[in-house]
Amino acid sequence: MAELSLQHLEKVYDNNVQAVYDFNLDVKDGELIVLVGPSGCGKSTTLRMVAGLEDITRGKMLLNGKDVTNAPAKDRDIAMVFQNYALYGHMTIYENMAFSLTLRKEDPNVIHKKVLAAAEVLGLTEQLNKKPSQLSGGQRQRVAMGRSIVRNPQLFLFDEPLSNLDAKLRSATRREILLLHKRLNATMLYVTHDQTEALTLADRIVCMSMGHVQQIGTPLELYDSPANLFVASFIGLPPMNFVDVKVEGANLVAKHFAIPMSPAEKNALASYQGKEIVLGFRPENTSVGNHFQMKVLSNENLGMNTLVHGHIGADGKGERITCKLNGWCNYKADDVVSISLTRKHFFDKETTNAIRMEEEA
Amino acid sequence: MTREDLAVSRDRMRYTKDKLSANLVLAAIVLDALYFVSIYQSDVSTWYYNWVIGASIILNLLFLLTAFLASEGVKSRKSGFTIPLLVLGILQIVRIFYLPTRAHAATVVLTGTEIPVMDNGQYLYTVICLALSAVCCIAAAVNSFLNGRKLAEHMKSLEKQSA
Repeated sequence: MAELSLQHLEKVYDNNVQAVYDFNLDVKDGELIVLVGPSGCGKSTTLRMVAGLEDITRGKMLLNGKDVTNAPAKDRDIAMVFQNYALYGHMTIYENMAFSLTLRKEDPNVIHKKVLAAAEVLGLTEQLNKKPSQLSGGQRQRVAMGRSIVRNPQLFLFDEPLSNLDAKLRSATRREILLLHKRLNATMLYVTHDQTEALTLADRIVCMSMGHVQQIGTPLELYDSPANLFVASFIGLPPMNFVDVKVEGANLVAKHFAIPMSPAEKNALASYQGKEIVLGFRPENTSVGNHFQMKVLSNENLGMNTLVHGHIGADGKGERITCKLNGWCNYKADDVVSISLTRKHFFDKETTNAIRMEEEA
Repeated sequence: MTREDLAVSRDRMRYTKDKLSANLVLAAIVLDALYFVSIYQSDVSTWYYNWVIGASIILNLLFLLTAFLASEGVKSRKSGFTIPLLVLGILQIVRIFYLPTRAHAATVVLTGTEIPVMDNGQYLYTVICLALSAVCCIAAAVNSFLNGRKLAEHMKSLEKQSA
C-alpha cells in the first residue's frame, strides 16, 4: 500500500475559477481519509487531481515519496470507484472485474485467481455469472470496488460511492467498506458530502469549504473541538445551535438569558470581556434545566430521545434552536421548556475561529 | 502446464465464454453466406425449377438462424448444442453434392450455345465455402463437447469437495 503526501495543492480552471486553495495533507499507510464538505467545496476536484484526471495547477503530489504530480493517471497505480459504478452492462460481473487486468494482458489464470479472491472478500462469488442489471445498487457498488481490488493498487479513491443508494443500503454498504478497509489495510481517500459517512468511516476527516481546508482531524476532534463555525455547523446531526452572546463579567448575556460561566470559560474568554462572541451548543448537549427558556414549535420523538424545535425565550422571539432531550417527551406547540447546556463551544464573531478552553487546547 | 494451472484453467470455464466454439460457428455462418451469394451468380434459375430455388433460400435462412442460436448457446457453454451443430455440419456436406455438384454437371443452351450451368472456378469456390462451413460447425461441436465434458467433471469434483 502507500503513503500519500499532498503539498500546497491548488487547482485553477481555464476560466480562472480557483477550486482548491493550498491543500496540504499527509496520508499514512493504511489510513482512511474522508474529504467532506458541501457541494462545490473542491473535494471531488482534489480527488480527481490525486487520480490524475485533473491537472494540478500548483503544488506537489508524492506517492510513496515519488513525485507523481505530472504523471498520467495510468502510471499512478491508483484505483477509483465512482458514484455511478461505471460497470459495463454487456459484460458479466466476472468480466467486469477482470477487465482492467485483461487489458494489461495478464495471464488468464492469474486474473482468475485475483477475481475469485476479490469476489470472496466482497461476497460476490454467487453473482459472477450475472450481468450488472441483475444486481442491486449495493451489489453493483461492490463490483465497482472489486474491480479496484483486483488491480491491487497503491491507493483507493472513492468519489461519493454511496450517493446512489437508498438509506438502508447505504448504511449496509458503508459497513462493508469499513470491513473491507480493515481486511485489506488499504490506503483510501473517500469523498462524501454526508457527514454521517465521514464520522463513521474515517480515520481522519478533511473538512472543506469553498476550496479551503477548514480542519483536519479525527472524527472525534471535529465533533468535539471544531476549529471554526463552519466545521461546527457542518459536523453533527442535527447541527449545532448558535446564539450571539456578550461576555459580561462572569456571565454570558444574550437578549433572553444570562448564563454564569465556569472558571475555565471565564479564563478562556478573559480577552473577550465586553465583546460579542458566538455561543454554540449541540442539541445533544442540552437537558431540561435552568439556563434559558424555549418556546416549543414542534417535537419529534425518536424513541430514546426527543428532538424539540423551538425559539429561545418564553415569548419565542429568540434564535431558533433544536434540543435533543432524553426520553419520550410530549411537548406541544407554544409550551415553554427550561433548558440547560451541558457543554458549550465559543467562537470569535469576527474570525469565526473557535475560542479554545484550556483543557481543549 | 502444472497440475494447478490445469485446475485453474478448468475452473475458469465456470465464468468465461467458449469464444472459440462460438467464433467457429460464426465463421461457418459467414462461409455459408458467401456460398449463398455466389450460387445465384450462375444460371441456376433457368436450369432449376423455381420451387427448388425457393426451398434452397429457406434452407439457407434456417441454417443461418440455427447456426446463430447455436453460436450463442455454445458461447455460454450450454450443453445440447453439440448435436445440432453436428447436424448442421453434415447438412453442409450433403449440400455440396446437391446444388453445386449437380449444377456443375448440368448444361444450358443460351443463344444456340451449350454452356455449363456452373463453371469450374465457381464450383470450386462454392464447394470450398460449404466444406469449410461444415468443418467449422463440426469443429465447434467437438470443441464445445470436449469443453462441456471437462466443465462437467470439474463441477462434479467441486460438488464432491463441498460435500
